[in-house]
Amino acid sequence: MATSPILSPSLTTYELLRQHGVSRRQFLSFCAMTAASLGLDAKEVPRVVSALETKPRLPVVWLHGLECTCCSESFLRSSHPIAQDIVLNMISLDYDDTLQAAAGHQVEQIRKDLVERAKRGEAEYVLAVEGNAPTRDGGVYCTVAGETFLDVLRETAAHAKFVIAWGSCASNGCVQAAAPNPTGAKPVHECITGKPIVKVPGCPPIAEVMTGLLTYVLTFGRLPELDRIGRPKMFYRQRLHDKCLRRSFFDAGQFVESWDDEGAHKGWCLYKMGCRGPTTYNSCATFKWNGGVSWPIGSGHGCIGCSEEHFWDDGPFYERLANVHLPGIETTPQTIGVTLAAAAGAGIAAHLAGLAIQRARSKSQAATEKANTNSEMEV
Amino acid sequence: MVTRIVVDPVTRIEGHLRVEAMLDDDNRIREALSSGTMWRGIEVILQGRDPRDAWAFAQRICGVCTTVHALASVRCVENAIGVTVPKVAEIVRNIMYLTQLVQDHVIHFYHLHALDWVDIVSALSADPKATAELAQKVSPHWPKSSEGYFRDTAATVKKFVDSGQLGLFANAYWGHPAYKLPPEANLMAVAHYLEALAWQKELVKIHTVFGGKNPHPSYLVGGVPCSIDLQSDTAINIERLELVRSKILEARDIVEQLYVPDLLAIASFYKDWAAIGEGVGNYMAYGDVPQNGIADVAAFRFPRGAILGKNLGEVLEVDPTNSDEILEEVGRSWYRYPDGKTALHPWDGHTEAHYTGPKPPYDHLDENGAYSWLKTPRWKGHAVEVGPLARMLVGYATGRPEFKEVVDSALGRLGVPASALFSTLGRTAARGLESQLAVGWLQDEFDRLIEALKNGENSTANTTKWSPDSWPNDCKGFGFAEAPRGALGHWIHIQDGKIANYQCVVPTTWNASPKDAQGRPGPYESALIGTPMADPKQPVEILRTIHSFDPCLACASH
Amino acid sequence: MDVLAQSRRRRLYEPVLVWQWPIRIFHWVFASAITVLFVTGIYITHPISNATGEAGGLSRMATVRTIHFTAAAVFTIAFFWRVAWFFLGNRYARSGFPQLWLPSWWRSFLRQAWNYLRHDYRDVHLGHNALAGLSYVIVPVLGGAFMMGTGFAMYGESNPGGFWDSLCGWIRPLLGGSFRTHTAHHLVAWFFLVFVIVHVYLVLMNGTQQKNGLISSMISGRKFRRIEDSQRTENDDGQGA
Ligand code: HEM
Ligand code: HEM
Ligand code: NFV
Ligand code: SF4
Ligand code: SF4
Ligand code: F3S
Ligand SMILES: [Mg+2]
Repeated sequence: MATSPILSPSLTTYELLRQHGVSRRQFLSFCAMTAASLGLDAKEVPRVVSALETKPRLPVVWLHGLECTCCSESFLRSSHPIAQDIVLNMISLDYDDTLQAAAGHQVEQIRKDLVERAKRGEAEYVLAVEGNAPTRDGGVYCTVAGETFLDVLRETAAHAKFVIAWGSCASNGCVQAAAPNPTGAKPVHECITGKPIVKVPGCPPIAEVMTGLLTYVLTFGRLPELDRIGRPKMFYRQRLHDKCLRRSFFDAGQFVESWDDEGAHKGWCLYKMGCRGPTTYNSCATFKWNGGVSWPIGSGHGCIGCSEEHFWDDGPFYERLANVHLPGIETTPQTIGVTLAAAAGAGIAAHLAGLAIQRARSKSQAATEKANTNSEMEV
Repeated sequence: MVTRIVVDPVTRIEGHLRVEAMLDDDNRIREALSSGTMWRGIEVILQGRDPRDAWAFAQRICGVCTTVHALASVRCVENAIGVTVPKVAEIVRNIMYLTQLVQDHVIHFYHLHALDWVDIVSALSADPKATAELAQKVSPHWPKSSEGYFRDTAATVKKFVDSGQLGLFANAYWGHPAYKLPPEANLMAVAHYLEALAWQKELVKIHTVFGGKNPHPSYLVGGVPCSIDLQSDTAINIERLELVRSKILEARDIVEQLYVPDLLAIASFYKDWAAIGEGVGNYMAYGDVPQNGIADVAAFRFPRGAILGKNLGEVLEVDPTNSDEILEEVGRSWYRYPDGKTALHPWDGHTEAHYTGPKPPYDHLDENGAYSWLKTPRWKGHAVEVGPLARMLVGYATGRPEFKEVVDSALGRLGVPASALFSTLGRTAARGLESQLAVGWLQDEFDRLIEALKNGENSTANTTKWSPDSWPNDCKGFGFAEAPRGALGHWIHIQDGKIANYQCVVPTTWNASPKDAQGRPGPYESALIGTPMADPKQPVEILRTIHSFDPCLACASH
Repeated sequence: MDVLAQSRRRRLYEPVLVWQWPIRIFHWVFASAITVLFVTGIYITHPISNATGEAGGLSRMATVRTIHFTAAAVFTIAFFWRVAWFFLGNRYARSGFPQLWLPSWWRSFLRQAWNYLRHDYRDVHLGHNALAGLSYVIVPVLGGAFMMGTGFAMYGESNPGGFWDSLCGWIRPLLGGSFRTHTAHHLVAWFFLVFVIVHVYLVLMNGTQQKNGLISSMISGRKFRRIEDSQRTENDDGQGA
């Protein structure tokens, strides 16, 4: 991480906040809030204070591949810290085609220069990737300035300090990688090698998760602890189901059975409406969305599992379990199970029928033999 | 000699747009190519899936106009299977729709478009006192217009610039002769850039209340997924509704006291842009904000219709389900149709990628071949512009008083004739004016919601057709929304409960489309023709006109 | 009773202790656990709504899940108990083990399948026949291991970083995430149902067609073998032909 001094003389977050009309007291409470949002102890606050007071802004290159830009939109919705503070005071967003003032050659020049300087060891930057890269047909499904996004991504990643994979697109592939993945879209970790990657899945991720990650990195000068698949534990440790306000109804067996039914009014569990909360790791249930107003389950729709790998192909969303895709057929696990059990039953019936026929045959054979003997006797 | 300039990436838009412009000797644009350089294949991915899930996939077409694709999607499924949504659900959808419209427009103006007109560096030399006076004159009721406020803003900008880390503002066209605002107006705009950034996250809380999150709130075929119950603490109740109401009021303030005054103030310095960037002169809107069910088009707040050749005297009828009216061509796009077909109505639409462009890395596209991931939609053979300007014109030409009032008042304040609307400036102004209508409607829709609840109506979902078993084996539907960027249509074909075909023709597909079989350019391409460039190396004029359409390329190619 | 018949039988058949008590205990514990797991498991997928009462005072779903987890613990203990007895038990405890690398095993397997198809029950085994052995390895053993792996991987989810999560949590990403783990666990549950149906049928069929006390053997431990059969060893334990 960027612990060494970066580039030209630059302002620290504190100085910028001061310029922004924020008093020292407000600044300290900002730091305390930041610390709290990161789940830090009160005794860590001074550390946040000193980090934000003394560190220059961290250069960030934010690339956009195959995506819907909703991760950027989410980022802008952050309420603590607010996006403005991050962009003006905490990081130096040196490249981001969604918000950049310059265009065309001028903006590509910024990126190329930065990569070049980093290559020579004169600069450092963090690469944030929103979206992912198409890999089929030479990558023609996404180009920037005439280059394939795959090349841009690899070139920029090569000299980055580390890489942040924003959202499910960059972390897992997301919607464009759903079957049949016409463009061969691949998440970041399948496109680049040899760089630490922090995955921040979600479609989009929660704003405060995104900004919280950046604040953590800026404060502690290192990446947070990651889980098995590269997500920050501090935001993706637990399933929604274990933190859900409808959980008591799940345990009680009280479920919404139909949209807007009595159970829906009473806030019962959405399990039978296909809720993916039991299998989804995210912070929605704790942080909630848009400054804590609500979250999908809170507003009556089940979770669709938007931070999980493959969630698009694990539909239909309103069924408890995913369809199973077999060559040529798409069916449910129950159907498979019931069919197999029925087939076993039918097999048994047929087997028994075989026995009956065998018996009947040998009986009639015996009877004929007997009859034959009888008639012989009669003769 | 013809100079060819390339702007790629076009920034401050959504997605990947490339513009190539051929300039005459006097640096006027003679011909332009608009190319979408990304494609994901969402239409292909939707095939074979459960139509009730489609909204979530379609919604991911775009996170900037998040929600409108979901809305068009549930509407097309409902249209196909024949289900109508309860009144309260319709109102909630209207509230969510209008919220999105206003939020998107404000962000577009301040964060995507403003820097085409506002020179941040010039703001450094502004006098905070004079800025305060200007701001108070522009918007007398806006509370934050003190000298101290602008002094702080100026200091922020100065320190930021002095830091040497210019971030998003590096390498731009500061000091370009096309920038005409006085330093004080620039400083005011910068301050409001920051205000609007802080505010935009507030309005979307309305989506969070009803849809659980923003971006990408939840939708539902047959209604909306949230229950409304004033006697329940687990459904939408009076506390939630008050949150919604307070955000509507804030939106009203922002639009009426910040956005529209700033827009008119800035526009008054750029009246020359009322003669630049006209485009195709044809406009179309599907209409939206139903008041009496989706089938009663006449009762929509945004009327449906088309205008050809800038003729405001006649509004033509539009029927998106008529296979003669809307056709998509792929002659200049990187797709291929089966059996040598050249144009298809979306119900018969086909999406099959077939890249024939130059091998990357490349310098130029081939203006004589296919050059975009956008298809070329045409209405009755015409290239039509969609978007705020189209909606305002259709409303104006239909003779709706509320449209006439806002349009005439703005024209009067700027002192320009109605013909000024057919321009880059007109497009940008229309966006602000329709936001003004939209915040009023938001209030009205909220009142209608309360009225319905008073009458004991609170059903939010019609579940009679929830089960696919209750659907026809083979059915087709059309769904639409007047997305921020214009007329959005989704066409679905359902067979045996699964999606057999799904086609989207999106606002930016209309506007940024490549040429058609007759060689007629799309609205972006037309609008650029004739634009004088002060310095071809600094293509701020191209950005102005292109941004006036508010491009969304993820939408356009999907 | 017909004394003559009895004495004849005593002459022709002799009892052999095939299933030692740990196998018998295992069998019935295991069978009960699977029955409970299947029923509760399907209930977990498709719970019946409990539309009355207050959430705090009720715990239908929680109870069903607790029963599932308890049965899972029983299942797991029984499973390992049986694995241990594979090594510790008598020769029959290892009988029928699919020795896929031996042509003789394959011959015996095919012959058994063929015999079943034409209702020929004359081949009598003391241990498991090759077909039975294979079916036990596929469903209860491999399937069981899968159910335990996925089951505990899911069980650990409610306490991330805890014992079960640390032990089995890696299985989830391997299967493509938590949701696919649930789906796979559910899918394999049905294979247990199929196994039980076929298994019970064949046991009853064999037991009624052969006179070697097959059915009661899982209680008494004893099967009967004909005296002259004791001269032949081939079918005793499946290790031979
Ligand atoms: C849930 C139901 C059941 C399950 C999962 C089950 C499972 C098993 C397993 C794993 C074995 C192999 C035993 C070993 O080698 O340790 C076995 C053998 C056996 N089971 Fe079951 N069983 C079930 C029900 C029954 C029932 C209802 C009966 C009696 C009617 C039965 C009778 C037998 C017999 C006789 C054997 C020995 C068969 C042979 O010699 O190959 N089982 N069973
Ligand atoms: C033959 C053995 C088993 C069968 C037939 C069985 C069956 C099932 C079924 C059908 C489900 C429902 C899946 C879903 O809808 O999510 C389930 C869930 C589950 N099973 Fe099993 N299971 C077996 C063994 C185990 C074992 C050994 C464990 C170990 C702890 C286990 C733990 C679980 C857990 C944690 C769940 C998820 C419960 C929930 O999501 O609330 N199962 N099981
Ligand atoms: N074009 C477009 Fe959209 C809009 N407005 C969609 O329908 O932006 Ni992403
Ligand atoms: S992860 Fe989802 S929200 Fe983010 S860019 Fe991708 S599709 Fe959009
Ligand atoms: S609503 Fe979803 S997350 Fe919440 S308890 Fe029910 S199943 Fe779990
Ligand atoms: S759908 Fe996504 S936003 Fe949260 S509740 Fe589910 S993870
Ligand atoms: Mg399309």
